[in-house]
Amino acid sequence: MAFDDLLKKNSVRSPWLFRINAGSCNGCDVELATTALIPRYDVERLGCRYCGSPRHADIVLITGPLTTRIRDQVLRVWNEIPEPKVTVAVGICPISGGVFREGYSIDGPIDKYIPVDVNVPGCPPRPQAILEAVALGLKIWKQKLGLEA
Amino acid sequence: MAGFLKVLFRNLLQGPSTDPFPLVPETFTPDRLRGKVVINQDLCMGCGICSYVCVAGAINIEKREDGHTITVWHNSCCRCAACRQYCPMHAISLEPNWHSAHAEADKYKVIEQKTIAYEPCSVCGKMIRPVPEATLKKLYVHNDDVDLNHVRSLCPSCRQLEDARRSAGLPPAAEKKAVE
Repeated sequence: MAFDDLLKKNSVRSPWLFRINAGSCNGCDVELATTALIPRYDVERLGCRYCGSPRHADIVLITGPLTTRIRDQVLRVWNEIPEPKVTVAVGICPISGGVFREGYSIDGPIDKYIPVDVNVPGCPPRPQAILEAVALGLKIWKQKLGLEA
Repeated sequence: MAGFLKVLFRNLLQGPSTDPFPLVPETFTPDRLRGKVVINQDLCMGCGICSYVCVAGAINIEKREDGHTITVWHNSCCRCAACRQYCPMHAISLEPNWHSAHAEADKYKVIEQKTIAYEPCSVCGKMIRPVPEATLKKLYVHNDDVDLNHVRSLCPSCRQLEDARRSAGLPPAAEKKAVE
């Protein structure tokens, strides 16, 4: 039990990020890459890094309005991420459908299918806004782990 | 040889290029950044051109007998500033506020909402949105003998009659009503 707590305590110092593109126009994905790859915004200072496998992820960033074509794949990948996880909706598309709302090929908003924790609107949001959202997601993740009230 | 030494010394003097933002509260923001929409309720006439041109359908105008409520949902706004471009009253602006991250519980609370109350026309009693003073000053810039406060309280059709009376040299309508 003590080892388990130790693991929990140390894991909050390195939340791994996973990106899901749910039919995004790639604008938000570029901004997500910017937050991680450009030294100016460097999301790795918070201990985050992007991982390739959903099974390693702690914080999942979803972009795009959830098109009908990609819906089942997104839900499959999202269900592979171990609990507790924090879901961050990046951009206006996953939050409300944005400019694509009520389109014939859109099945969003994403909280119809997935419990979202943090929203960060923008088209696309600034890298600083995404950093803010990751910081907020980190706080929620700590609450889910039971380390913070 | 000397080239890379120059770069090295410059980098040592300049310090890191990383923006310390999430760890310290302030960061740089361009002056003309398109952030959250702000509505000036002194100018909004409720014409609805903003909700017509809004690409994302983020603007809603609810018209009632005694006023109108204009609402912008930031979670649907794509910051294209088409509303600012087309607003004939220049009542809409975008402030450079990009702090938009919020928890899911606040999803429907991040709105800009302004309610504009209507006033009755001083002649016929119809509920109207009084024309903003600055706009009236522009409209009547060549008629400085007009009482702007009186014109402001008139509905469009009564104002038209009033203008016709004035050009014909007749007394204003409100005085006529006071006699009745």
